[in-house]
Amino acid sequence: MTTARLLLHRHRMMIGSWLLLLLTLLGGTVWAYQDTYPTAGQRDAAVELARADTATTLLYGELPLPGTPAQMYAWEIGGITTILVSVFAVLLGVALTRAAEDDGTLELIRSCGVDRRNPLRAAIAVIACVATALAVGTAAVTGTWVGDVDGITGLGVAAFGAALGLTFLLVGVLTVVLAQLTSTAPTARLLGLTAVAAGFGLRAVADVRDIGALNWLSPLGLRATVQPFTANRWWVLGIYLAAAVTLAWVAGLLYERREYGAGLITRSEIRDVRLPVRSALGLRMRLARRSTLIWAAGVAGLGALFTAMGSGVVEQSRDGDVGGFLGTQLGGTDPVAAYCAYTATLLAMVVSAYSILQVLRHREDETAGRTALIVAGGVRRWAPLLAQVATAVAGSAVILAAAGAAGAAIASVTIGGDSPAVRMFTFVTGQWPATAVMAAGAALLAGIWPRAAGLAWLPLVAAGTLALLGPLLNIPQRIRDLGPFQQVSDPVAATAEWTGPAVLLLIAVTATACGLAGINRRDLLAG
Amino acid sequence: MTTTPAVIDVRGLVKRFGRFTAVDGLNLTVAPGAVHGFLGPNGAGKTTTIRVLLGLYRAAAGSARVLGMDPARQSAAINRRISYVPGDVHLWPNLTGHQCLDALAGLRGARDESAERRLTEDFALDVRKSVRAYSKGNRQKVILVAAFAAPTDLLILDEPTTGLDPLMEEVFRRCVRDAVAAGRTVLLSSHILGEVEQLCDAVTIVKDGRLVESGRLTDLRHLAASRITAQLTGPQSTTVTNGLRDLGLVNGDGAGTDLVLSVPRTQVLPVLALLARADAGDITCTPASLEELFLRHYRVAAR
Repeated sequence: MTTARLLLHRHRMMIGSWLLLLLTLLGGTVWAYQDTYPTAGQRDAAVELARADTATTLLYGELPLPGTPAQMYAWEIGGITTILVSVFAVLLGVALTRAAEDDGTLELIRSCGVDRRNPLRAAIAVIACVATALAVGTAAVTGTWVGDVDGITGLGVAAFGAALGLTFLLVGVLTVVLAQLTSTAPTARLLGLTAVAAGFGLRAVADVRDIGALNWLSPLGLRATVQPFTANRWWVLGIYLAAAVTLAWVAGLLYERREYGAGLITRSEIRDVRLPVRSALGLRMRLARRSTLIWAAGVAGLGALFTAMGSGVVEQSRDGDVGGFLGTQLGGTDPVAAYCAYTATLLAMVVSAYSILQVLRHREDETAGRTALIVAGGVRRWAPLLAQVATAVAGSAVILAAAGAAGAAIASVTIGGDSPAVRMFTFVTGQWPATAVMAAGAALLAGIWPRAAGLAWLPLVAAGTLALLGPLLNIPQRIRDLGPFQQVSDPVAATAEWTGPAVLLLIAVTATACGLAGINRRDLLAG
Repeated sequence: MTTTPAVIDVRGLVKRFGRFTAVDGLNLTVAPGAVHGFLGPNGAGKTTTIRVLLGLYRAAAGSARVLGMDPARQSAAINRRISYVPGDVHLWPNLTGHQCLDALAGLRGARDESAERRLTEDFALDVRKSVRAYSKGNRQKVILVAAFAAPTDLLILDEPTTGLDPLMEEVFRRCVRDAVAAGRTVLLSSHILGEVEQLCDAVTIVKDGRLVESGRLTDLRHLAASRITAQLTGPQSTTVTNGLRDLGLVNGDGAGTDLVLSVPRTQVLPVLALLARADAGDITCTPASLEELFLRHYRVAAR
């Protein structure tokens, strides 16, 4: 299919980067589970704790018995990748359908005399193709450890890969259905991500409240239902494949029933609201307002969810050492402080994604010629980029404050121990310099090397790996302590440490300044 | 006597992108209060030159002065006095037309709201609509309204009428005339020769980044060649060919019976006299249209 090949070629960078990230995460962590618990006694204790712990169950689902390294891997790493895979599926699903309709490329394809349904079929074919690549790739990178890591079997890796691939397919096709309802790509993306959040919530409730049947309703619960490395229930895959085909059919039906460029849900395009702005910063702030509020609501909800489930983890930490990924996160320090720091790290990663996305808008505006319009109005050429960074940094502050406040309000009720509310708020808002560094990194690239602005995601990937998987990957503590998300000190502790945040802010200011100097010296990109 | 300084004064401008030279030693002078046409085939370097004038691009060599200032160093100060209309308009999709006008005027820090209202009506633009719902022509109108309404001294218009219907093109021409009447200067890059012929006092023609022709439109028309045709018999043909050689012209067909010649205006009379003396039949002489002038310049190699 020519259209499918065209779509694959157009989005090859996005697809390639995501597959690389996911397969690196999947393939690079298997071995660690063999070494984490040297004795059977330690392992049993850890498995028991993990199964009783609400927070890990919330995040990853229920750890199946007997808790072999393979099962732990599929539970922890599988849990993280399931979320990432779903986000990837939403982004790709929208890029292939609604975004192409927005920018007019779909119109071109339709005008070449192809069948009416051809573009939709091609989009679904590409999603299926990527899902297959993900399934095969996962099975391959995990399968290399057959025999080296207990419980990793040929059948198991195939089921695990198939479950992840099918999760991608389900969420991707569901997004294509949702994309038929709205008339713009950003709204379609928002709908898709809301569906993923709902799927995550459904799965979390199913596992925490022990209502396994509920897991059947969530594409994110597929991995738990298939039970790779445990029961390898292949027939489940068949049912979900049928569900994916049905969704694709529904997408086709909806696609037939709407006009080109329109959604089934329409809203009035006539508004008479004014825009009193006086500067590039004012304009950027106004343009970012809606998305910042949505992010603030989403991240605050996430913070509230994690805090609400935090009571269990604190008790278990007091009892003994929680195992695995979460255990190493919490190891050593005061359990309340450790849990707050852990929650704050997760939220900071999400907010970093927001700030990077905000700054990357600059390149979009530059290639579209909107930056040229602003500069041609008598604004200094570095001002739009500075406005972009300032908006990202201010927006991050707003989101972190909202999430910190939501967490603090709930922490005072659910988490016992020493001043949990103050700690939750401080740890969450204390991540602000780290998110500023991420924004500044994006600004540096947007300023001096705009064509490679996508590299702005690398610092987040590196910092996230260091923070979440550092202990599992045996990275020395002194290197882990250098991570940008590790620079908040416990507000209850006697001595507050300010060096870390100060260094982060210094890096942020320097990188931004270099980016601004860069854009001042180069040509603006042409449209 | 001192002449008034040019609004745009470009000397020997060079702009390279990697190994590709987009503009190669271009000169461009625009007098105050003039409508200056900026012509050339696609890819000739017109938009690149305009971007240098706005300070969006850095020149590799040569000098550029706009309103007496250097766009490489004082672009903000210059651009506050310039209205720019790009050829391909992208606005903020989640704003309405009115909000775009608010934003553009707010950024400039100077605004004439009554002019904006009048122009919005003239261009029949519904500013309450979201930009997403606008056609290409409507997006163009938003920028045209912003450009003409802004209290600026210089308008730089890069193919401003693409996407406009003929009625709106008429409105556009009126706006340009009003702007000039108000003492503003206009640099108009365009492919629509009729538009240029009606509006411009002077033109600059570029090709492959180099200057081909520049001057007042009346002078250029004067320089343009006329087209002379005639019917010749064999012996007449020889006489005429020899006569043309004496005048420094070449009979394209050699010994053919149909004579088709492109003759510079100064030599029209001697050629006609030569043909009359040779007793040629069906002699016609047509003055060159502006279109022919441009097409000839578009085709010839740049000097």
